[in-house]
Amino acid sequence: MEVIVQVIASGLTLGAMYAVAAVGLALVYGALGMLNIAHGAILTFGGYAAFYVITSLGLPMVAGVAAAVAAGALLGLAIYVVLVHGMLSAPAFETNIFIATFGIGMALENVVLKLFGAYPAAQPLALDGAVAVFDVFIPVRNIAILVAGVLLMVATAWLLTRTQTGNAIRATAQNRAAAELMGVRVRWIYAQVLAISGALAGVSGIMVSSLTNLSPTMGGDPMLKAFIVCVVAGLGNVYGAMIAAIALGLVEATAQYLLGVRFGLATLLVLVILTLIWRPHGLFGRTQVQRL
Amino acid sequence: MDGLSHETARSPRPLLVVDGVSKHFGALAAVDNLSFEVMPGEVLGIGGPNGAGKTTLFDVITGLDRASSGRVLFAGHDITRAGPERICHAGIARTFQLNAGFDTLSVRENIEVAAIYGHVAPVFPGFRIRPVIRRRVDAALELSGLAGRAATPAGELAVLERKLLMVATAIVTQPRLLMLDEPVGGLTQAEMDAFVAMLARIRGEGMAIILIEHVMRFLVSLADRVLIMHHGERIYEGRPDDLANDRRVVDVYLGDGAADLIRAALDPGVVP
Repeated sequence: MEVIVQVIASGLTLGAMYAVAAVGLALVYGALGMLNIAHGAILTFGGYAAFYVITSLGLPMVAGVAAAVAAGALLGLAIYVVLVHGMLSAPAFETNIFIATFGIGMALENVVLKLFGAYPAAQPLALDGAVAVFDVFIPVRNIAILVAGVLLMVATAWLLTRTQTGNAIRATAQNRAAAELMGVRVRWIYAQVLAISGALAGVSGIMVSSLTNLSPTMGGDPMLKAFIVCVVAGLGNVYGAMIAAIALGLVEATAQYLLGVRFGLATLLVLVILTLIWRPHGLFGRTQVQRL
Repeated sequence: MDGLSHETARSPRPLLVVDGVSKHFGALAAVDNLSFEVMPGEVLGIGGPNGAGKTTLFDVITGLDRASSGRVLFAGHDITRAGPERICHAGIARTFQLNAGFDTLSVRENIEVAAIYGHVAPVFPGFRIRPVIRRRVDAALELSGLAGRAATPAGELAVLERKLLMVATAIVTQPRLLMLDEPVGGLTQAEMDAFVAMLARIRGEGMAIILIEHVMRFLVSLADRVLIMHHGERIYEGRPDDLANDRRVVDVYLGDGAADLIRAALDPGVVP
């Protein structure tokens, strides 16, 4: 019983963390057909932004969260202005932007390295203490990650389905030409999508670093996991990504317990291969891609 | 027709001027030095064989594609190089041959997107739908006969309903020019009649309409003027009732059988 509770708690924490990272990735792919490889670097920036504001400036934790959100959103906007805006109407956008964001990601990672150094630092924005559930002590920070993850999922779903901006985002994702002809300024929509995705990445940076440590390369692992989640769910499927993230978090935690920690990632990769063999468009994908 | 001549007399300036427009794809001239005008409140029907350049012409006018040469003027303003959303805000709305709805949005949400963004796009739209927008959406739902389907996701609509939805999203932007690309292709006779009735109501509001259609009976019964394209060029422009007598149109497009049918449809002695 204790083991089951532990595995579930750990799985849900991982899942919530992956979900926040994956939804940002899925949103951008769904809306623009853009695989943002710099997503991991934005996440790193978010984590460091919170660290800087709290540790170096001595501001309260709320300011740290705000800084992570702002840093992520601004980087998302910057990627739109610097890369997407100019490349959008050029041919082979999906391939070019993939390579361009790969470069931006490396550059951002090295900016962090230059600013904060290569030594890992502890994320000050982390809650201490633990709660006992069935005689198992679950750290408060894990619960906080789960709660924050669920809240962000609900907020994203609400934004997409209950607001006018959300309707315009979904409309643009499904048929750009028709949306333009209805007067939607699709470029502004794209900029907003990248900012929202960046903000989610920023928060996810705090989550990831509160469990491990801050380091310039910390974005790599969650980026890979988020990508796995998106592939399993079907690229660009935001709701699928939410479900797949939680499911894969539970699978990884189970595999880590049953087979050993080093088999966690291997198990996920096996799942990706199986998915690509039997459902090449992802578990929730269709042959005709249903975006957002 | 009386309403039209009245309207024309009051504002003699054409609403849309297409001036020597060409669109080349490599060596192919999809639209070849085409010029025509549309007056306010007028209905222009465009016909012609497949590949004649009709849809390309629509793409160029609505800004989805850039003209290789020539100019497009709308209400006196040059819109040749304007983007599609600016042209929409200027007052041109269009529908597509194929479904262009947003499948996961409900019918009402589809129309709301057009209503909110189609007139003057807000930078930060509020979270609540303003009453004026709500009324316009309701009116478009009513006019298109989709009021009973407002909550249905667009992806679940039947063919006729999808076409009606496209018209509803177009008219809710309150355009001065409505462009319909094969609005009744694939519909049954009864559905087509329902569509004609709806367009008659839209016309009553003074909108100019350009429609592309292969169904000649539909085209000639609605249009004030007909333009037939072939290989990107105009081969006929004039009254719909003379269409079936034009040798070139009959040869390249209609065929003799269809020409007889059109004559019969236009003959007041024969009930179509």
